[in-house]
Amino acid sequence: MRTRAILGSILASASVLIVGYQAGTAVTTANGSSLTLPVGEVTNGSTSGSTSSGATTPETSTAPTTSTNTGTETSGTVASGPADGTYTGSSINTRFGAVQVQLTIAGGSISEVTALHLTDEDGRSIQISNRAAPVLRSEIIASQSTAVSNVSGATYTTQAYLASVQSALDQAGAS
Amino acid sequence: MRYTLETMGTVASIELPDGWEAELRPMRAIFDEIEQRFSLYRPESELSRIASGQLSLSAASDELLASYARALEWRSSTGGSFSPHRPDGVIDLNGIVKAEAIERAGKHLQTVGCPSWSINVGGDILISPTGGAQPTGIVDPADSSALLCAITLGGSLLALATSGSAHRGDHIWRGGSTAPPQFIQVSVAAADIVTADVLATAIVAGGRDALDDITDRWDVDVITVDRAGALRTTQGLLRSLATR
Repeated sequence: MRTRAILGSILASASVLIVGYQAGTAVTTANGSSLTLPVGEVTNGSTSGSTSSGATTPETSTAPTTSTNTGTETSGTVASGPADGTYTGSSINTRFGAVQVQLTIAGGSISEVTALHLTDEDGRSIQISNRAAPVLRSEIIASQSTAVSNVSGATYTTQAYLASVQSALDQAGAS
Repeated sequence: MRYTLETMGTVASIELPDGWEAELRPMRAIFDEIEQRFSLYRPESELSRIASGQLSLSAASDELLASYARALEWRSSTGGSFSPHRPDGVIDLNGIVKAEAIERAGKHLQTVGCPSWSINVGGDILISPTGGAQPTGIVDPADSSALLCAITLGGSLLALATSGSAHRGDHIWRGGSTAPPQFIQVSVAAADIVTADVLATAIVAGGRDALDDITDRWDVDVITVDRAGALRTTQGLLRSLATR
């Protein structure tokens, strides 16, 4: 559960960055200037930057050199990352409340993404995506033959209980 | 040892370690007290007397008001998918009192220090936080003698509740909607039994929209069966599938 929440946070951070990037939302630096970051997918802390035209800051020249950076150019602009440092993104209102992230650039790539606000209106931590997706019966069928100690079902009447798997388990003394 | 007793219109199956059978009596007392207070099938119950107008809500017991307040909070947090009111306006706390009974019985066992137990009332299950993982089945709505799947309860998931129309007909009120429910069975695994039970009911009542909303906002695992028999699950449920 904890792992999932953390993964959710990372995905949320990444998606917010991507949304901000695509919408042209600028990232404001400490000295008040703003730039748009070449942000790609963030996976397990490593970064694969994807640079597209017009997205880079003209004054920086630190080219991505780390092995985790697989930046690709989509047009003729010079591939250049932002200066090293810590950047704070704009606060974006979502259905989960305000979401804001801070990221650290080192060696031309993102070294750390921190969620500054990732809670709902009541201040509870939230989890971004745990949606139920379609599965085939074949994906769960192996578990059917497990020896179980109880069976969950929609509330049965006393009569229906007598014909249920739970009744059989109870008569067998369960485990 | 496994014990069964009839209560609240269904059957409770209780697993206790050897030597703990004396705890059955206080557990039965908890179930009986809740049934006597909340059953709408008993005309003399407190809730029945409120429904018929013999008793004013302002004169109701603290216990009843606490359950009602809790149900109203759930109505609010589920956007109305879960409701303690029947379409005719009568307060019906059926959707929450069985889970509260299981919760209280579980708290009792924890208080007396019972090391390992499970309580299954009418298909809603709570297990001991200290007794280790327990493989637990979910019934196939198309065949009550078969399992749809089995998951491992334990850790942060101690409760499993299932709602649906497979056994008692369409008993879940769905905000006045007359359209058939999208899901015929919904199971929710959660840290506590009230959350599991209420959210399973809310997803049956609210359909796909409620499913997406609830899985977004609560740390629960869900498996649903729709009218065509198709399944949806959270990733967490797939990970907790039992393997012998």
